[in-house]
Order: sequence, then structure tokens, then C-alpha cells
Amino acid sequence: MSTEPVTDDERKQNRYHFDRHTPEYREQFTEVAAEMLDKCPVAWSDTYDGHWVAAGHSEVFELARSADYLSNDHDPANERRGYQGISIPSPKTPFRGGFLEMDPPEQRHYRQLLNPYLSPAAVARWEPLVDEIVRASLNEKIETGLIDFVDDLANIVPAVLTLGMLGIPLEHWDIYVEPIHASVYTPPNSPDMPRLQASRLAMRDDMMGQLAAIRADPRPGLIDALATAEINGTVPPDFELLGVISLLIGGGFDTTTALTSHALEWLSEHPGQRERLSAERDTLLNPATEEFLRYFTPAPGDGRTISADCELAGQQFKEGERVWLSWAMSNRDPSVFPNPNEVDLARSGNRHHSFGLGIHRCIGSNVARMVFKRMVTAVLDRMPDYVCDPAGAEHYQTVGIIQGMKHLPATFTPGPRIGDGLEETIARMQVMVDEQRLADPVTVRKGAADIK
Amino acid sequence: MKVQVDPERCQGHTLCSMIAPALFTLNDEDGHSTAVNGEVPADLEAKATEAIRSCPEQAISVIP
Repeated sequence: MSTEPVTDDERKQNRYHFDRHTPEYREQFTEVAAEMLDKCPVAWSDTYDGHWVAAGHSEVFELARSADYLSNDHDPANERRGYQGISIPSPKTPFRGGFLEMDPPEQRHYRQLLNPYLSPAAVARWEPLVDEIVRASLNEKIETGLIDFVDDLANIVPAVLTLGMLGIPLEHWDIYVEPIHASVYTPPNSPDMPRLQASRLAMRDDMMGQLAAIRADPRPGLIDALATAEINGTVPPDFELLGVISLLIGGGFDTTTALTSHALEWLSEHPGQRERLSAERDTLLNPATEEFLRYFTPAPGDGRTISADCELAGQQFKEGERVWLSWAMSNRDPSVFPNPNEVDLARSGNRHHSFGLGIHRCIGSNVARMVFKRMVTAVLDRMPDYVCDPAGAEHYQTVGIIQGMKHLPATFTPGPRIGDGLEETIARMQVMVDEQRLADPVTVRKGAADIK
Repeated sequence: MKVQVDPERCQGHTLCSMIAPALFTLNDEDGHSTAVNGEVPADLEAKATEAIRSCPEQAISVIP
């Protein structure tokens, strides 16, 4: 691609001070997005050693789908070009974040290996199990009339399911859920950091133990696929596999939690819309799910590195420059979404970017949608009059990584338990997962879980 | 009206089959979509158009 020679000042004519890691950014998101979309859909920001920010829908679309010029590579040991992966600023960790911080062909090998565990057909097999975990989680609170939708539901179900798919014992969910959730919202200088570090180490120990155990005595699941993988002709080292497992866990947990809590909060604030969604769920649940994904964008963006001088989306870029692709801002582009700052449960033509675009499309998107829908409909059925307590609702102070919630307490008219509680249900589900080899890939096992 | 999915562009977002399951089949292994052969029935043309408008990768088109 040829580019006219221009000075850096000319290239960086569109400038915007963009810092998504501040509380102000969360508070003023609507205004920041509207201003960038209107004046500078691609702009240079001086923050974090300087980087580009793409906000416009068509600009993000073009950039995200240009894998020949945008690299996801994270190369902390400087074995290739020293690129910094998808985080801006770089987290300074010596680890790659799995295949999301790789380029093809390695990235493609991992995707092809893991897709048969995460495709729509593969995920549908888990639906009966998810319904059981949801039912049991609600049982724990249904008689009290008081629930925290984050702690008591939306943290639990995605975690239990993700571990099941990996091949990790379901009852280990509480080893994983706290460090993953708290890592996203705890600032580095927090007094809570030592406790969080300890829980992270416990999680890492368990993860390494599971990989070793599955290698010695195979049981089905994503980890089994990784333990026996050959990627691009070589056997990947364990630290790379741990990066992949961490990516699957990090992607599987807090994102769906964030989507579910925000949607439940919005539905509490709009009881008429909640009744409509419940009554018309056969036709409305799918578009409403896409609309909550668009509006709340749980994973608000991804970083990339320009891998060759190029001109894309009307902007000249130089090799090595960093770009932030803002799914969240592009999801508010009025040229694609009429009334972008309103939730329209029946919105049509909703080609949002919340799962990313191009070859790195969220590999767990089918999991996220299924688990979200099962949790929300169960709440609509069993707690139809719930009211969230605005004083107790706690949003993440900053939304640079995940737009999530710490707590979402709600009250509702108490109801009866249905069946057993969470601990017993998890134990029963473990037997089912093992006996029915539910975590096998869809190429091996086609049918849905058979709940006894 | 006939529709097609560009396999080079499709990334398995699955919105097309969510909107019009009768018109699009998802691959079991990776969820990538293919369009059914032949004419779109007249009563599904609006759904086909909505699927085209909703595809995040703009991978679906009308066969001229």
C-alpha cells in the first residue's frame, strides 16, 4: 500500500486526549463518544506514550478486519518485534494472553483446535446443565426476598460452566471467581492487593495442577485439547498453555457477569420494558440480548499494533504505532444506530461490535449469549417484581478493561425453592459431566446433556 | 430473491441464523454460516434483509 510522505504533525492532525482508565471517562462516556464520533472518528491521543483511538463504526470495522496491517502479537521477550499485545498501556507482564495476543498462523491453529468446544452446536449441549445451576443459585435466595445479582447469580453460573467446559472440577469455581472478578476492578495501589495476589496464586496453582493432572490422566475438555496440542508443528510450552487457559477463564467469567448485571439493573429501572420482554420473550429475547450487548459493551475495546506502514480508514499509520479499537464508542455511532444512547429492545440492523470483528471475534460469544439468556429468563420467571437497590449497586470505578459491576442487590417477593441447593446441584452436575463426557468436543459428542 | 454468505468474511457471529434460522445453517464445528440454496420464500424476504443488515462482518449479500 503506497502512502504519500507527510510529517507526523500532519498525520496526527486529529487529536483527542483519551484516557479510558479514569473515573471521569466512565462518567462522561456518552459525551466523549459523541464528540469523537462527530469530530474525530480516528484520533491521536497523547496518553500512555501516545496511541491512536478509533471510535467511528466504519473506521473500527475497517481497522479490525485488517489483520495484515494490525497485529495482536504480545512479545514480552522481544523474540520478534517486541509488540505489546492488546492492552494499552501494556500490563508489563511477561506472559502472552493466549491466542488473543497472537497472529496467524498460531492464532488460527488454536482457534481451530478450540472451536468444536465453543461453537453454537457445542454450547447448546450445556443448556440443561446451565438451567440447573441457575435454578439452584436462585434457590439459595428465593425464600429471603433479597439477592445480590452479581455475587449470588451472575458470578456463579458463567464460572461453573467455564470450568466444566475446561475439564476442571465444578466445585473449584470459588477458587477462580474471586481473583478473576477482583483483578479487573482492584487498582494496583489498593490495600486489598496482597489478599488478591494470594488468591491469584492459589488460582494459578490450581490451573497448573489441572493441566498436569489432565495430561497424566486425560479427561475431556478444553484443557485436554491444549495438553495434547501441536501448534504450527510444535508442542507449545506450558506457560503458553496457561496463558490460553487464563484467556478462556478471563473471557468466560467477568464479561458475562457484567452484561447480566447491567441488563438486570436496566430492567429494574424500566419495569414496563421488563414486563414486555418477559411476555414477548419468544421474539424479543434475541434482539434484546444484542441490544444490551451493544449498549453496555462489557469488553469496551482492544489494542493493536500497526505491523506495516499503511493507510486505513482514511488515516496514515506507521509501523509500531499502537491503536485502540473502541467497540464501546463505535456501538454508539448514530450513522449506524438511530438514537444510539437509548436502549431499544427490538432494535433492527444491530451490527454491534461487542464481540469484536474479524479473525479475533470472541470465541466465547455463543457461551455468553446462552448463559445470559438462561439467567435473565429465570430471574423474570422466579423474581418478576425484583427492584434493584440503587444505594447498594456498585459499578466498577473505571471501565478501561471491563464495564462491570461489583454488587447489585435487589429485593423481591419471596417464593418457594424448586429442587435442591447449589452445593448439591454442583455435585450432581459433576457426576453428569463425567458420566456423559459432556466436555468432549462436538465432533465427538453431539447430544445435549441428559439431566436425571 | 437469493442470498449468499461470503465464507472469507463470515466469522461465526450467528446473528443471521438467529434472525432467519430457515435461511442460514451454521457449521457444527465453528458456527460459520452458509445460506440455503434457492429462492428465499416471499414471506421470509424481510427476515433475509434484516439478516443482511445485522451481519457485523457484512458477509451476506443478495445474489444478483
